[in-house]
Amino acid sequence: MLSVQDLSIRFRTPDGYVHAVNDVSFDIAAGQKLAIVGESGSGKSQIALSILGLLAKNAETRGRILFENQNLLDMPTSRINKVRSKEISIIFQDPMSSLNPYMTVERQLNEVLELHEGLRGRAARARVLEALDAVQIPDAKNRLKSYPHEFSGGMRQRIVIAMALLCRPKLILADEPTTALDVTVQAQIMRLLDDIQKEYGSSIMLITHDLGVVAGFCEETLVLYGGRVMERAETRAIFNAPSHPYTRGLLRAVPNIHAQDARLQSIPGQPPNQLHPPEGCPFADRCSDSRDPCFNNLPPLDAGRHQRACLRPVEELS
Amino acid sequence: MRTRKIMNSPAYAEAAAEEMINSRSFWVDARMRFFKNKMAVVSLTMLFLLALFAAFGQVFAQWSYEEIDWSLLGKIKEQGGPNWENGHYFGVDELGRDLYARVVQGSRVSLLVGFLAGILAVCIGSTMGAIAGYYGGRTDQIIMGAFNITLSIPYIIFFVVWQAFFGRSLEQMILVMVIINWTAGLLIVRGQVQTLKNKEFIDAARMLGMSDAKIIFKHILPNMLWVIVIYMSISIPEMIMYESLVSFLGVGIQEPNTSWGALISEGAKTMTFGTLWQLGYPAAFFVIAQVSLYYIGDGLRDALDPKER
Amino acid sequence: MLNYSLRRMMAVIPTLFILIVICFFLMRLAPGGPFTSERPLPPAVMKNVLERYGLDEPLYVQLWTYIKNILFHFDFGPSFSQKDRTVNDLIAQGFPVTLTYGFFSAVFVLVLGIPLGVVAALRHNSFWDYVMTGLAIFSQIFPNFVLAPIMVLLFTLSWGLLPGGGWNGGQWPYVIMPAVALGTSYMASVARLTRGSLLETLSAPYIRTARAKGLPERTVLWRHALKPSLLPVISYMGPVFVYMITGSVFIDVFFSTGGIGQNFIDAAYTRDYSVILGLAILYSVLTFALTLMVDLVYAWIDPKVRSGLK
Repeated sequence: MLSVQDLSIRFRTPDGYVHAVNDVSFDIAAGQKLAIVGESGSGKSQIALSILGLLAKNAETRGRILFENQNLLDMPTSRINKVRSKEISIIFQDPMSSLNPYMTVERQLNEVLELHEGLRGRAARARVLEALDAVQIPDAKNRLKSYPHEFSGGMRQRIVIAMALLCRPKLILADEPTTALDVTVQAQIMRLLDDIQKEYGSSIMLITHDLGVVAGFCEETLVLYGGRVMERAETRAIFNAPSHPYTRGLLRAVPNIHAQDARLQSIPGQPPNQLHPPEGCPFADRCSDSRDPCFNNLPPLDAGRHQRACLRPVEELS
Repeated sequence: MRTRKIMNSPAYAEAAAEEMINSRSFWVDARMRFFKNKMAVVSLTMLFLLALFAAFGQVFAQWSYEEIDWSLLGKIKEQGGPNWENGHYFGVDELGRDLYARVVQGSRVSLLVGFLAGILAVCIGSTMGAIAGYYGGRTDQIIMGAFNITLSIPYIIFFVVWQAFFGRSLEQMILVMVIINWTAGLLIVRGQVQTLKNKEFIDAARMLGMSDAKIIFKHILPNMLWVIVIYMSISIPEMIMYESLVSFLGVGIQEPNTSWGALISEGAKTMTFGTLWQLGYPAAFFVIAQVSLYYIGDGLRDALDPKER
Repeated sequence: MLNYSLRRMMAVIPTLFILIVICFFLMRLAPGGPFTSERPLPPAVMKNVLERYGLDEPLYVQLWTYIKNILFHFDFGPSFSQKDRTVNDLIAQGFPVTLTYGFFSAVFVLVLGIPLGVVAALRHNSFWDYVMTGLAIFSQIFPNFVLAPIMVLLFTLSWGLLPGGGWNGGQWPYVIMPAVALGTSYMASVARLTRGSLLETLSAPYIRTARAKGLPERTVLWRHALKPSLLPVISYMGPVFVYMITGSVFIDVFFSTGGIGQNFIDAAYTRDYSVILGLAILYSVLTFALTLMVDLVYAWIDPKVRSGLK
């Protein structure tokens, strides 16, 4: 359904080009859930924004993003506006600021229906209530005229999710939907997303820096680093047999109740400077397994079900 | 919640305060940034020249600012214009007085009033702000109440009322301008002090038995110097503007003494007769001063304000 | 909301009262008065005059009479220097004039300032953006009392397009220059503020949300961005109105419109205390009223403030 092919995104800045995303490819099938995992600055959010044509003005893109065989990247705004929210919707990270503080919740929701389905008045309200019920907002009927600041953070994120569901889109991009929320609320929201996905049958692209969130949720996981795909496989395979040093580092940073040794380890060093991206593997200078060739040659991504981009064979990794 | 650390050496508090305040590199950096700003440097030079003009311009004048050149009366429109031969470099005003000398005198008054009132007002405002922020509670309430009332009074109205009641001397004028503008910088200093007063070096100073006044003046205000400097740079052109406006209205400086505003007013009254130099010269000086002060203020903000960096 | 408005109005009363008392005593304490002229009046005449204006009574009685007359009869008393005229007459004559061009000036400030700021923000770094920056600096440097003579020089003396003063019953050629000269520098400030605030709003996450909904850019601007970015402009209108009231004194004097500013300055010359005091009170009331109006509009528009008031 969605096919991202050799996507590169760079930003023009006074100091030169910042290469945020480099040659990323992946597919999402109908009803599939894909996770994109990476640290902040790995370019994962930019991928989501580029799908909907929401990149900042100084961005330049290369490659193709095919959605139902149409390239979203060279669609004019007037046409991509027909896709936004209707076919593909997005849930942003911070529910505190992603709702308009000066508009009632109802208005913010029903303008989507008005725009894409021409619904107004009672029909629109019924659909809005349906969506708010689906995200389990208590007493939704009486809170339609409330403003965002009258809701808690978790409730606001539910509203944002309801907004994304309104037109029953084929694909939902969830950009760190739980990062800004309390841990207990995080779990609730993830469960909600899971239920909704089952009910609505939409595909979900979940963007997160937290492998822990991915574990029970997505079938497939793509690990991004320095704007490049490091590893891509079924989530189970990523957890059971991580084959890339970076993935292994990430996993060591996830708390695991089953582990004997409960110490968490972080990956030393800083993410690469994307103004002057390194010639070789972007992870090389933070990698404990790197060898000389790693610094000079870009590792290709293997083909197959379990893809990895590393010059060193799996068996030799520590 | 405040953690109070007990410093065992008195020198510690001094040293800590010293470090915060005179982080010398801050002012060195700021000066460097300021002098990199071309407009600011040009403006500073212009202002310096203006000050020189005000201070020593009279030396080159062939007439005093009160003297009437009787030979030109009645034919000012034809012969009263700028003329190097009869010593009226800028021409004469409608009463036949030398405009050059009057512009020198006007610059003196305007700059003097502007700088004195501007600096005094900010000193009072920031001291009050420091007191309000430092003591809080009732003191704070009273000061903020006075602050809000002052803000809601239309300043020229107050100015005119005051001038009408107490006469129109230079001292009265500076006094009333300070009264109107005593709130300059108050709010920001108050806010800064509120955050500063819980810093450890202030705690230390307090514990060493330093008096409140000494803490405020020695440790808190110096930290605030950059705010004060910025506010002065905003306040001074504003004061010059007030003075000029009030003098324009005829309730400011009194004849035969003069200021830019009074000169502009006279020039504006006579421009129908075609004696445009009477408007042009004072207006030009006023505008040059305002432009320079604007860009100096801009440069200072860029150089000093941590938010701008 | 109603409660809040009432509370705010109540708060004005003590301030006004204090103001009147201060002004009243300043007036009585001040050296000289309307009847101290170079040639002193004969004692008998003087006594007569003082009696007529009630100036021979004890101060507190005078104060009480004064306040009573204002409160219950809306009467500011007689003018001391203009015989047979009351302060009320002066106000009735001059105030409509000042209000008229003041209103048009405010309209000019908003109707030109806001769109200019919006265009400058949307066409960031374009021609209009530079026009606006230039205008902002220009207005900072040319205050109304420098601008007004220049305007008269151009539009009246050079091109003969507009009358250089007078009122003539408020015909529009006579209103234009006072209104524009009074408003220009605030118009520039409003434009600059609108520009900055709209630029900030347009980079807010909820604007990105609005775009992600598929709304056309026009709708994003009108429905989502404009209101939040106008809030700072609205609260800035409070001080602007205060400045404009102040500026109107100059405009009245310079353009001889016959507004109350002229009376105010004349009264200051002649130490006509009752007129000064009456007009100062009027100006203050006007200031309070406009500031209050701005605050109420703000509270009404901003849902956060509004729900805080409930």
